[in-house]
Amino acid sequence: MNAIEIRNLNKSFGSKQAVRNLNMTVPQGAIYGFIGENGSGKSTTEKIICGLIHENSGSVKLYGRDHTNPGVREHIGVLIESPGCFPNISVWNNMMLQATNLGIKNPEKEIARVLKTVRMEGAASNKFRNCSLGMKQRIGIAFALLGDPALLVLDEPINGLDADGMRIMREVLTDITRKDGRTVLISSHILGELEKIATHYGIIRHGRMVKEMTAQELEESCRTYIALKTGDMARTKRLLQSRYARVEEDEGGYLRIYDLVPSRVVVRFLYENGIITGEIKSARINLEEYYIDLMQEKESSAHREEQAPHAPYTEMEGR
Amino acid sequence: MAHVKEKRLPSRNFAERLGSMLRVDARRMFGTPLFWICLGIAFVIPVLVLVMTSAFGGEGNAMFTNTWQIIGSESADLGAMMNINLMYFMMAVFVCLFTAEDFRSGYAKNLFTVRARKTDYVASKTIIGFIAGALFLIAFFIGGVVGGSVAGLSFELGAAGVSGLVMCMLAKIFLTAVFVAIFLLMSVIAKSRSWMSICLSLFGGMLLFMMIPMMTPLDSGIMNVGLCLAGGAIFAAAIGAVSNVVLKKSSLVG
Repeated sequence: MNAIEIRNLNKSFGSKQAVRNLNMTVPQGAIYGFIGENGSGKSTTEKIICGLIHENSGSVKLYGRDHTNPGVREHIGVLIESPGCFPNISVWNNMMLQATNLGIKNPEKEIARVLKTVRMEGAASNKFRNCSLGMKQRIGIAFALLGDPALLVLDEPINGLDADGMRIMREVLTDITRKDGRTVLISSHILGELEKIATHYGIIRHGRMVKEMTAQELEESCRTYIALKTGDMARTKRLLQSRYARVEEDEGGYLRIYDLVPSRVVVRFLYENGIITGEIKSARINLEEYYIDLMQEKESSAHREEQAPHAPYTEMEGR
Repeated sequence: MAHVKEKRLPSRNFAERLGSMLRVDARRMFGTPLFWICLGIAFVIPVLVLVMTSAFGGEGNAMFTNTWQIIGSESADLGAMMNINLMYFMMAVFVCLFTAEDFRSGYAKNLFTVRARKTDYVASKTIIGFIAGALFLIAFFIGGVVGGSVAGLSFELGAAGVSGLVMCMLAKIFLTAVFVAIFLLMSVIAKSRSWMSICLSLFGGMLLFMMIPMMTPLDSGIMNVGLCLAGGAIFAAAIGAVSNVVLKKSSLVG
């Protein structure tokens, strides 16, 4: 049984279709990285899963039961948008309110446990409004962890954090995902961080699921490339482009060849054309690059579809 | 999968769920300055009104000649609203601001995402609003007694008698349930937009405010109390059911 199973989900806000026929499967125990650009429908999907907004059509099942079933909702913990705390109350008292609502027995012990997990023991007496963004995000995770849920839904938990906040959050996420073995659905723009913890990925674009895969499948899909530098980069680029299908310049000033070709063959080819290779390395694209590639691919295929002539049939009909 | 976590939350019945939500709401209500400000206003208004109208009204022109006029009247005209019945307006403001804060802070989101059922929320908020409303009325009553004493007004009850006064207060308290349910309905429609819920509540309530002096005159009897109790319970349940449907059908976040 899967932790989350979504079939043909649709949601629109007025004339804007936020989610279109979305299918998604999150296996139990998975750390599912939910990736997509702004406005792609990630948050809308998560809000539907959590019952905060209602779908127009389609089914959402949590552990095999409809997501609106109160029994199944008890298994989930959520951080969506903000932690949902009263600003003028202390962190501890905010958590006491939530723990009381959840009916947690021995709430003091449970609150101490989750605060320790998110490394916020020292801030329990702080008023929520006085906490930094990073602290608030961690408090949000502590809220989600109350009652030890089997499924966590985290919407952009690392957004807007500074380097230190990000490091702490990474440790916290590692703790609550890998060590505790719960199912986690986590959306984020910071793919480098996601790559370190996710076991499954779902890539969403314009409300549609573009690709779902395991970390292993991603690993296999991520092509290797050769990156090199020479004394005459412009000429090298022209030469390589004449011979290989995909040659691009990266942000570090390297030329990348994505074709499956041994380094020595490239070096020899350049040498034969009077170019000495100064630096050469072989590497594998990461999640972020894979994601950008995929998006570009989708963008260009959508563009091709738009430009494709659909005239003849229509024209003939018109006549 | 190797790791399948078992649920650790104990299962609870409606009474247990409502009990814990009421504890939270009570803690919040008594912890918020808004409640104490409203309670303070409820106490101060009758004191100020009775003392100032007596002091500046002049002989024979005083608006109030008897302390209990500020608690209830035996007529049902618009002037009959210019007394303790004003507290129903304050209840509207309190319920709307208190509920809007749930949505603004994200507390309602936390609640509904995980455990709480909408029915529990509506029931809890109605009960808490009812308690707050009753406390405002009692504070106003005490303020009226203090104001009357300070102003040196008569405490003569006339034909109404003590029982009439007690019945009048009880009827007003029970009638609170109807209004709180209406204000809560407006609040769940408007969610975090407190200005909208207050406007809707005052507008919606306005149509019913005239009912208060008719239902709860100073010489109220057991019939008035019974009607207000039954009406309060029935209307609160019916309007609460509508609030429940609104919560179920509408999105809880933007």
